[in-house]
Amino acid sequence: MWRGASLYSRGFFIGRKLTRAERQLFCVIYFLACCGAMQAAAARPRQAPAYKRGMKFVTDETGRRMAIPFSVQHIVTLAPDLTETVYALGMEDKLVGDTSFCDTPPAAKLKPHVGSPQTPNLEAIVAMHPDLVLATTSINRAETADALLRLGIPVYTSDPHTVRGMLDSVARMADLIGANEQGTALVAQLQARLDVVHARIAELPLVHVLFVVWEDPLITIGQNTFIADALRWAGAESVIVANQNWPQVSMEEIVRLQPEYILFTANHSEADKDHELSRLRKQPAWKALKAIQMGDILKVDDEITKPSPGLIGAIEQIAHALHREAFSSAARENSFEREDGLKIQVFANVRERECDFCGL
Amino acid sequence: MRPLTPQRILATCLGLCGVLFVVAVISLRMGAYPISVRDIVSTLFNAAAGRRDEVPVEFWQVVFGLRLPRIALGILVGASLSTAGAGFQALLRNPLADPYVLGVSSGAALGAIVSLIVAPHTVGAIQIAAFIGAASTIAAVYFLGRRGGQLDSPTLLLAGIVAASFLSAIIMFLLTMVTGSELRSIAFWLMGDLTAPPPTTNVLGWLGFLFFVFIVAAGAMYTTSSDLNLILTGEQEAKHLGVNVNRVKFVVYIAASVLTGLAVSVSGAIGYVGLLVPHVMRMLFGTDYRMLIPTAAIGGAIAIVLADTLARTVVAPTELPVGAMTALAGAPVFIYLMRRRMR
Repeated sequence: MWRGASLYSRGFFIGRKLTRAERQLFCVIYFLACCGAMQAAAARPRQAPAYKRGMKFVTDETGRRMAIPFSVQHIVTLAPDLTETVYALGMEDKLVGDTSFCDTPPAAKLKPHVGSPQTPNLEAIVAMHPDLVLATTSINRAETADALLRLGIPVYTSDPHTVRGMLDSVARMADLIGANEQGTALVAQLQARLDVVHARIAELPLVHVLFVVWEDPLITIGQNTFIADALRWAGAESVIVANQNWPQVSMEEIVRLQPEYILFTANHSEADKDHELSRLRKQPAWKALKAIQMGDILKVDDEITKPSPGLIGAIEQIAHALHREAFSSAARENSFEREDGLKIQVFANVRERECDFCGL
Repeated sequence: MRPLTPQRILATCLGLCGVLFVVAVISLRMGAYPISVRDIVSTLFNAAAGRRDEVPVEFWQVVFGLRLPRIALGILVGASLSTAGAGFQALLRNPLADPYVLGVSSGAALGAIVSLIVAPHTVGAIQIAAFIGAASTIAAVYFLGRRGGQLDSPTLLLAGIVAASFLSAIIMFLLTMVTGSELRSIAFWLMGDLTAPPPTTNVLGWLGFLFFVFIVAAGAMYTTSSDLNLILTGEQEAKHLGVNVNRVKFVVYIAASVLTGLAVSVSGAIGYVGLLVPHVMRMLFGTDYRMLIPTAAIGGAIAIVLADTLARTVVAPTELPVGAMTALAGAPVFIYLMRRRMR
């Protein structure tokens, strides 16, 4: 019977009687398909109740709508900056899980981990019974938030593109996790520190810098990143103008633009500034940069890479390093007027501490 | 060699289905969320009886929200890729052919990237755009790959490779326009990713639709299996034996391309399964396409479900891309079988 079938030369679109074996095989395939369909039938997603007691409806910064309990008890964070924010708000007792990348503050390393920010284990998140998951567009994938929302777990995704946007985000998240007062206080304090920096350097020309995200290939920042905004707050401006967030640029272009300062992040390499300089001076392309010849490089605190409260510290560090004259003792004032008329007292000891921090 | 009887095909397939069932049960049991077999059984039983309220919410989320859809999708993708691979290997008469050789995955990737530029943050846009991209590539390569009005294997292969390089170049150009968060989605999608949520909330309907397309395409290919055996001995010989070679090639080309487009659009480009599994099945059960097509389909499903289970457990809580796991676990098996056959 197979012999006959094998000589049967017509394809699928010309009807023919199926052989017995084929019928049996189709039965097997149908059986498989039915199993799959039955499994899928059971996998019908939960219908979120239109209204639940003790829940409020929230739209996150990417436009997703969800119901979040008024009193959030178990938080899972999916990015280091969010973990840092939760700690800065003093809400670490409610934090039941974070990612394996979360290392600031050091206590965050001891929390149970759900995997990396980009491939978190959804089951591990479910096992932590969170009533709110915090995510961010700066490192997480949209698919993760979508999948968790399908399971009925609310995921608030923040989308900060500027320093002020980060502060707004912190305030909103503080409100969600029941730390409204701490959030207001934290944002006001951070804003005051920004204002101190701003008051001193607002009149000064921007320093043209190259922010090195990756050295080989040379990757820098685009103008729409929060890092670019943080640099502006610190009185600096990237020499590269690009719409891409992490553009790869040619060394020739950098030599042509001759940035005044080269900024590296501290995790770029363990070597200190002098070692870094002598290493770069051996490389022909980098040697051609006046900033390298003059030794004008700066290792910026890692906080610059995260849209979290620690970013303000990094802004202070860059501003102090690039605008030394503005922060010298001659220019020190003990108070200044904020735009809204509020008088800010700047205590000398605070400034000393900040200067210690940035190694001046 | 024993003659190939329908009974033997059926027995082999049922045996493989048994293996698939065991693998699926193991996969259902494994994961970061600790859940015993007893709890899984009671969850399934309560769900079947409609007693939803008696199941703890977490069990429901893990079993029905995460593991079962993923296993079902893995079965579908594995079976599609492997069947398509078997089809392309016969169509191009090239043992190195895989589902991506004709540029289908590049077309799908281009569609996905365009959707991320045009409509970011839209659930399901990637899948739909990827399918459109794959389908357009299939059509373009089909018309380029004809010679004298007939599908010519070497021309088709060249057309596919040229289309793939051309589309990859466009992708490289477009990637410079994509910003950070979309780039991450694309990177995962290109590596193969079974975790992306389906485009609709009706998971049942979505999976049902995908299985329906799979059965139509794989069934179409199966009807040509006897003819494929003859074509593999030589196109002229097959023609002399009365095989309508052009029609068979057309059916296999369309069926295999649809299967590839289907798999690529829901899970991204998962490599190696379409290449390795058909060869493994040939080594185990012989080269007859009447046997090869169904065994490759079930074998592909086993391979993906197994690889995905490993991918989400070996470095838990972090997950590996399933494409990396298929290569890691598949290559040693393949080499072992190849060496054994040489002896």
